[in-house]
Amino acid sequence: MRERWDQVWRGGRYLLIGLPTALAAMLVVPLLAVGALSTGLGGVGLVVFPRMVASLRLWAEWQRRRAAALLGVTITPRNATLAKGVRAQWRQLLDDRENRRDLRWVLQHIVIGLAAGLGALCCVSFPVGGLVAATSWWLFPVDEPMTVLLGVPVTEWGTALGLGAVQVALGGALAWWAMPSLARWEARVSLAALEPSAEDQLAERVGELTESRAGVLDAHGAELRRIERDLHDGTQARLVAIAMRLGVAREALPDDDSGTLARLLREAHEGTEVAMTELRDVIRTMYPPILADRGLEGALASLAAGSAVPAELDLGELGRLPAAVEAAAYFIVAETLTNAAKHSGATRATVRMSRHDGRLIVEVTDDGIGGADESRGTGLVGIRRRAAALDGTVLVSSPLGGPTAITVGLPCAS
Amino acid sequence: MRVVIAEDNVLLSAGLELLLGTKGIDVAAIVTDAEGLMEAVERHRPDAVIADVRLPPTFRDEGIRAALAIRQAHRGLPVLVLSQYVEKVYARELLSDGSGGVGYLLKDRVSRVGEFVDDLRRVADGGTVMDPEVIAQLMAGGNAVDALTNREREVLALMAQGLGNTEIGKRLFVTDNAVHKHVGNIFSKLGLPPSDGGHRRVLAVLTFLDSAR
Repeated sequence: MRERWDQVWRGGRYLLIGLPTALAAMLVVPLLAVGALSTGLGGVGLVVFPRMVASLRLWAEWQRRRAAALLGVTITPRNATLAKGVRAQWRQLLDDRENRRDLRWVLQHIVIGLAAGLGALCCVSFPVGGLVAATSWWLFPVDEPMTVLLGVPVTEWGTALGLGAVQVALGGALAWWAMPSLARWEARVSLAALEPSAEDQLAERVGELTESRAGVLDAHGAELRRIERDLHDGTQARLVAIAMRLGVAREALPDDDSGTLARLLREAHEGTEVAMTELRDVIRTMYPPILADRGLEGALASLAAGSAVPAELDLGELGRLPAAVEAAAYFIVAETLTNAAKHSGATRATVRMSRHDGRLIVEVTDDGIGGADESRGTGLVGIRRRAAALDGTVLVSSPLGGPTAITVGLPCAS
Repeated sequence: MRVVIAEDNVLLSAGLELLLGTKGIDVAAIVTDAEGLMEAVERHRPDAVIADVRLPPTFRDEGIRAALAIRQAHRGLPVLVLSQYVEKVYARELLSDGSGGVGYLLKDRVSRVGEFVDDLRRVADGGTVMDPEVIAQLMAGGNAVDALTNREREVLALMAQGLGNTEIGKRLFVTDNAVHKHVGNIFSKLGLPPSDGGHRRVLAVLTFLDSAR
C-alpha cells in the first residue's frame, strides 16, 4: 500500500516535471536553427552552436538520470564535457554520433513527454477538481456553474458532496492504477531513445580499449627501458666484475697448470663469458641499447649507416613515441634492410617514417628485383609478428621485377 | 704506463685497477664522469685513457663524446673505450679523426687479462683496436668486403683488431711475406694510397667501417 503510494507519487512527480520540459523541447529546433544562422553575424554561431549542442547533451543526460532513477536501472554516463578551443569543439561535435541521438530524443520528447505529462496532469486534476467542486462549488457564478464527472453541473451541496466524492474516488483510482505504469513507460521510451545502440557501445568499448592499450604500451615501454638500464648497471656489470676477477685469478696460475683448480677457474671464466654474451643478445633483442643512448633517430641512422644496401633516411616529425613502438620500428627497419640486402639485389633503399593520426608509418622501399615471398625465409613473418603485437598493419608490395615497398602502421598514443 | 679511468660503476673501476695493477700499469686517477675526465687528463697527463661509454649525467654516449673531445684537446691522446655492447656507428665516430690510438672493446674482453693489456698497449702506441664483435657486425652487413678474398677478409679483420703483420701471420699460419702481400691487396682494393705508414692501417679499418654497405 505504502509502496504503491510511493510509486504513484514518484511517477506523478516524474511526469509532471517532464511536461514543461516537453513544452520547452519544442523550442530546441528553432533555437538550434537560430544558433546555426547566427554564424552569419560575424561567426557568432561558430562559438555558440557547439555550446548549444553541449547543453542539449547535459539536458538529455539529466533526463536519462531521471528515467534511470525511476526505473531503478544503472546507466553509463555519456561524455558531456566540451573540449577547449572552437576548433576542437567543432571536431568533437562532428565526431560525436550521440548528438543525433539527442536530437531524435528531443523530437520524440515533444510528443511522448507532452502526452504522458498531460495524462499525469489529468490523473491529478480530476480528483483535485472533484475536491474543489465538493467544497467550493458555491463560489462559481450561477449561470456558469462548476461541473463534475465531465459535465454534471453542481448547484447544491447534495450533488457537490456526492458526485464530488465520486470524482475524487474515480480520479484517485485512475492515478493509483495508471500513474506508475505511465511514468515507467515514458521513462523506458526515453531511455531507449538515448541508450547507445549495441554497435555504438561496441565502438565505445573499442575506443576505451584502444586508450587503455596505449596506456599499457606506455607502461610497458617504461618497463623495457628500466629493465635494460637495470641489467646494464646491475647484472651485466656484476658479471664483468666476476669475469675480471676470474681472469686475474687465472693469470696468477702458471700457464701450464693443468690441475683441478686451473680447470675449474677456466670453466668458470668461460661460463661467465657465455653468460655475458647471452645476456647481451637478450638485451639487444628486447630493447636495443642504441635506442636508449641515441633515441630512434640515432638508432636508425646507425642502421642506415651499417646497411649493406645504401639506405637513405627520411624522418618526419615523430615526437615522443612509446618505447615498445620505437623498438618495433627499429627491428622492422633492421629486418627489412637485411632482407633487401639478402634477396633483392637492390642498389639503394629508402626508409621513411612519419606520424599520422596517432599512427607511426614506417615505409621501406628498395629498387631491387621484387618478388618478396613471405613463405621463404622468416624476415617478413618476423615483421608481421612484431607489428601484430602492437595491433599494427603491414602492407607488402613487391611485384616481380620490383620495386619492393613495405609499409607498416603502428598505433601510438597521440 | 699510466692511465686514467672514467667509469661510474665502482665494481668495475675497482676491478680494472686491480687487473691493471697485476700487469704493472699505473692508474693515475679514477673519475666517474666526462668533466672529471677532462680535469684528470689535464692534471695527470696519462699515456692513455680508458673510458666507459655510458657516463653520468644521462648515461647515454657521454664516453664516446668525451673521448672525441679529449683527442681533440690533447692531440690524439690514446683512448680505449669500453662498453657492454658495441655499435658500428660508435666505432666509426671514434676513428673519424683518422689518427690512430683508438680502441673500442666490449667490457667482456677485459677479463682476458693478457689480451686486454696487449690491446691497451697497442692503443697507447697509436694502434687501432676494434672489438671482434664490431668486425663481425661489419662482415655480416658488408658489400665492400665482397671485393676481398676470404683470406684478405680474415687479414683485414685481424688488422682491425689491432694486430701487426707478424701476429696476423702467426694466427693464420702463414708467412710474414704472405700477410704483407694480402695487406697490400687490401689497401689497393679499398682504394688507399700505396704510401707506407701506420696511418694507412687506421685508414683501412676506417674505410672498412665506412664502406661496410
